[in-house]
Amino acid sequence: MLRIEGVSFSYRDADTPALDGVTLDIPAGGVFGLLGPNGAGKTTLISILAGLQTATSGSITFNGRPLTEARAAEPRAIALVPQDYAFYPMLTVAENLDFFSGALGLAQRERQAQIAAAIAFARLEQVTGKPAEQLSGGLRRRLNLAIGLLGRPQVLLLDEPTVGVDPQSRRFLLDAIAGLPASGTTVIYTSHYMEEVEAICQRVAIIDQGKVLTEGALDALLRCEESIVELELGAELPAELAARHAAIAEGNLKYRLQLATPTALSGLLDALADAGCSVQQLKVGRENLEHLFMRLTKRSLRD
Amino acid sequence: MMTRLKALWRKETLALLRDRHGLAALFVMPVIFILVMTMALHDAFMPGAAIDVGYAIVDLDNSPHSQSLIRRLNKAGSFRHIASVDNPDTARQAIRDGRYALVLVLPKGFGERLLAPAGADGQPTEPLGLLVDPTLNPVLQLAFRTQTSAALGTLRADELTRQAGKLFGLPSAANAPDRDWPDEIVTVAVQNEHSIRPPSSVQQNVPAWLVFAMFFVVIPISAILIVERQQGTLSRLAAMGLPFRLVLLGKLLPFFIVNQIQAALMVGVGLYVVPLFGGEALVMPQGIGLLNWWLVSMAVSLAAVACALLVASLARTTQQATIIGGVGNILMGAIGGIMVPKFMMPAAMQTLAEFSPMAWGLQGFHTVMLRHGGFAAILPPVLQLLAFAVAALAAATWLNHRQSA
Repeated sequence: MLRIEGVSFSYRDADTPALDGVTLDIPAGGVFGLLGPNGAGKTTLISILAGLQTATSGSITFNGRPLTEARAAEPRAIALVPQDYAFYPMLTVAENLDFFSGALGLAQRERQAQIAAAIAFARLEQVTGKPAEQLSGGLRRRLNLAIGLLGRPQVLLLDEPTVGVDPQSRRFLLDAIAGLPASGTTVIYTSHYMEEVEAICQRVAIIDQGKVLTEGALDALLRCEESIVELELGAELPAELAARHAAIAEGNLKYRLQLATPTALSGLLDALADAGCSVQQLKVGRENLEHLFMRLTKRSLRD
Repeated sequence: MMTRLKALWRKETLALLRDRHGLAALFVMPVIFILVMTMALHDAFMPGAAIDVGYAIVDLDNSPHSQSLIRRLNKAGSFRHIASVDNPDTARQAIRDGRYALVLVLPKGFGERLLAPAGADGQPTEPLGLLVDPTLNPVLQLAFRTQTSAALGTLRADELTRQAGKLFGLPSAANAPDRDWPDEIVTVAVQNEHSIRPPSSVQQNVPAWLVFAMFFVVIPISAILIVERQQGTLSRLAAMGLPFRLVLLGKLLPFFIVNQIQAALMVGVGLYVVPLFGGEALVMPQGIGLLNWWLVSMAVSLAAVACALLVASLARTTQQATIIGGVGNILMGAIGGIMVPKFMMPAAMQTLAEFSPMAWGLQGFHTVMLRHGGFAAILPPVLQLLAFAVAALAAATWLNHRQSA
């Protein structure tokens, strides 16, 4: 659906490029996670896809057509939901939806239908007459998302859509976003919350310093061949076991251990039982996304 | 495109209607300014009007001549004769108490020595005394002195004529009345038509504060545009394929209409409210003159909205916009002849005023309202305003493209 090939971009007066030869293939359907530390180039890439910036070099095609041409032909095909609350705080929810559907150029009948669908999707029925500035953080995020869906886009670009919301609203938003591909909308999702990406994305790309570090199906990326075991224990891991399995403590009684062979797992569990350490959680053969992210982007602090 | 424009216009209208501070700056502030300034400057634009300062007289001579001088002063009418006092000490105390600002003391022997210059016959001539409140405007003190000198001059001339007639044996009526000298000066305002009525303060103040108020659209326009930029709404609209020039156009029409409502309101205040407060009613041009007036109003509006969009594009925060816009407007108003009429400024400041778009607008209104000028006469300021509007819009568009690059 979206083919990004060797795309580079530099901001005026910047010493290093924000994007440096980025190549990605985003298939239709599914939720594509775009991960990277602050300043990695995620927002720049999203801005280029949204038509707000133009790549310095490289090419982007959308359904086989150059992006600029495709956007001109179908301006509503790609929609952006910015990280900020990009709507009018002094207008009510209904007025905001009405304005943005008008700004999209929707005809009156389609407009009413799309507004109703967006309200139903984001469950905003109870607050349509309320000024946006009086909404809670969760409702504001839902309105932000609802506006993005007014044009029934083929691709929805979501930039950190769950920042600052309570767990219930986050759960609702994640479920709603995960359900979008079923109605024909491909989602490109950026977030700092690894567990969110792990929960809803089928494919991910990790970028840093303008370059793609890895890209592919999430399952394939997280599968590990080195027999790594992740444990959450009821008590501290005995020092002898820790030394034998090159354990890395990750806080809150969570450990990452290396097995000599995959069959050594039963021996490890027996040893833990003998030491009186109950096992709360166990993961084998699958790396955690956060580990993968930290391993690839290194642990040094970013801006 | 019309669907998109209509949505933009509706949004701007709703946003403005909910911005109470913006509405107050646009509609309440100029109405108050017009009323206050029209009342305060009521007499400043009316030559020969009575000055609201009274004087008292201490007549120590109490002669026919001193009485004649008092009558002549009363007749002049610019200052009010409020009392006659018996002695100078009482008068001094009354000035200290703030009851009088001016007291004229006519010395004993005033009538007797009216035609005897001091020392001419070896006898001293006591001068007239003027006791003044030191807080009184020196210009008013000088004006009263001049008026007294003029009355004294006519009194001396009459007395001289009478005595000369007596010397040559000409008959003269006893107790002849004070003569009226044709010394009154009539002010005529030069206009294209033959009206000789000079402009009142309401004619000066309504266009001045209307221009000022129109430029205050900077407050609501920048408030909305900056929120749009800060919250990523402009990016979202751009991602929807809405060109920035359409966003600007979406702001131009609603605020143009706001400016025209302001114009109608200010004219209404001049016509109907100012008279309720004792001022003169505004006189609006008729027929084609009214069309020319509206043309000026449209040009001022376009310049004001474009200027506001430029300020909103330059400023990063609402606070910055309020400062740049608010202070900028006050400066433009100060040098543009809104607060102090241009003709009262020194030459250098009058040259500076030529660079203020508010001065161009005011010049256009004055050309129509005071000089009754036609379309050709208003064309220079109208073209200046339109050129300014185009330049400001181009600069605002360029700035926004540069910021998003």
